[in-house]
Amino acid sequence: MNSIDASLLIWLNGLSGSVKIFDDLMRVIASDYLMPLVLSLSMFGLWFSGKTPFQRMTFQLTTLMGISALLISNAVVWLINSLWHRPRPFLDHPDELNLLFYSPTDPSFPANPVAIGFAVATAAWVVNRQFGWWLFAAASLFGFSRVYAGVFYPTDVVAGALVGIAVYGFTTYLRRLLEPLATMMVRLARGFSVG
Amino acid sequence: MNVNPNDVRSLFESHYFLFAFLSSLGTLQIAVTSSGICGLWLMPYRRVTRLLGFMCIVTAIIVFFGQPLFVDGPWAAGSVQSESSTREWGTTSWNDLAGARNINDIHGGLDGVDQAIWFSLAVISAFVVSVGFGTISVKVGANSKEFSVDAKSHNSDGLTGLAHRSYFSNLPISMRNFHENSRNFWSDGVRSSDRWSLIKIISGSSTE
Repeated sequence: MNSIDASLLIWLNGLSGSVKIFDDLMRVIASDYLMPLVLSLSMFGLWFSGKTPFQRMTFQLTTLMGISALLISNAVVWLINSLWHRPRPFLDHPDELNLLFYSPTDPSFPANPVAIGFAVATAAWVVNRQFGWWLFAAASLFGFSRVYAGVFYPTDVVAGALVGIAVYGFTTYLRRLLEPLATMMVRLARGFSVG
Repeated sequence: MNVNPNDVRSLFESHYFLFAFLSSLGTLQIAVTSSGICGLWLMPYRRVTRLLGFMCIVTAIIVFFGQPLFVDGPWAAGSVQSESSTREWGTTSWNDLAGARNINDIHGGLDGVDQAIWFSLAVISAFVVSVGFGTISVKVGANSKEFSVDAKSHNSDGLTGLAHRSYFSNLPISMRNFHENSRNFWSDGVRSSDRWSLIKIISGSSTE
């Protein structure tokens, strides 16, 4: 499994260096700033997007769940990292990879950016399929760019996606457990004219 | 890179704040024009406001990723080298621009917590700016069809009330409604939540 993973990574990363504009595009997408902001803004936009009071309430509850899932995903990734420290691929295969990104110092498995991306995308998908698919595509592209840049194995990305989706499922359960707190938070926001 | 990471961080913070502020303002404008929340529009016209929203987002991306071309920072001489610690202080070239922002947080880039703090501040600022411009838009556009008041919506609050009122006119109504109904919201919420709810289990029979 590990050798297939490494072979796939080396093949994908081996595509870099031939078309500069594509490498540059991947560098921008892999950045720590673009995709995380896109995903956060998707939740911010969703809060204000409801057209009717009922739809607004649904979207706002989903936004709260999306943000909670994002935070919990971070915690789950940190927990997995502390249990298993998988070295980054550029440490395992220093001569075979063309690194397009800085060398992160944290463990490789699972991919944290993908976990938070999929957590947010799942939240969006629950209330708006089309919007959700766009965010899944954005989160997948983010993961692909990091593999292409040589900082994640493909299995790190797949595991990150699974963590994100599973954490969103857990968050829906958590919401049921703590209801009516989430609804009350939306009502409070409405009291301040922001909900 | 013989540069203090704190200098790099403060540079990143100001750049990131502008990036997040402009893009949140743009996102907010696109969202409120599609949902008809006129009290937060930058202009009293839907199409112009939406166009401004798109322009804010595009400007934010161009400015943030283009800044290394004309602002000195830790991105000179070789962002094509992946390692952020080997770069010099200065401006970057077109060739190296794409990777210039890829700086490890231990070398002064922003980590997740920093980004979350600056993003929150940017979002609040974008909302405040929208409230200010929205107040003017509601006054200027008071007679237009977009801002017309439905008879049923006189007592509406929250964002629904902002569909035809400014934030400052809407806030007292929203506060009053919340104050009057908060007890009902809570007890109704507990009653309608399902059997998994810990709060329902704890408060149990008193709200049944």
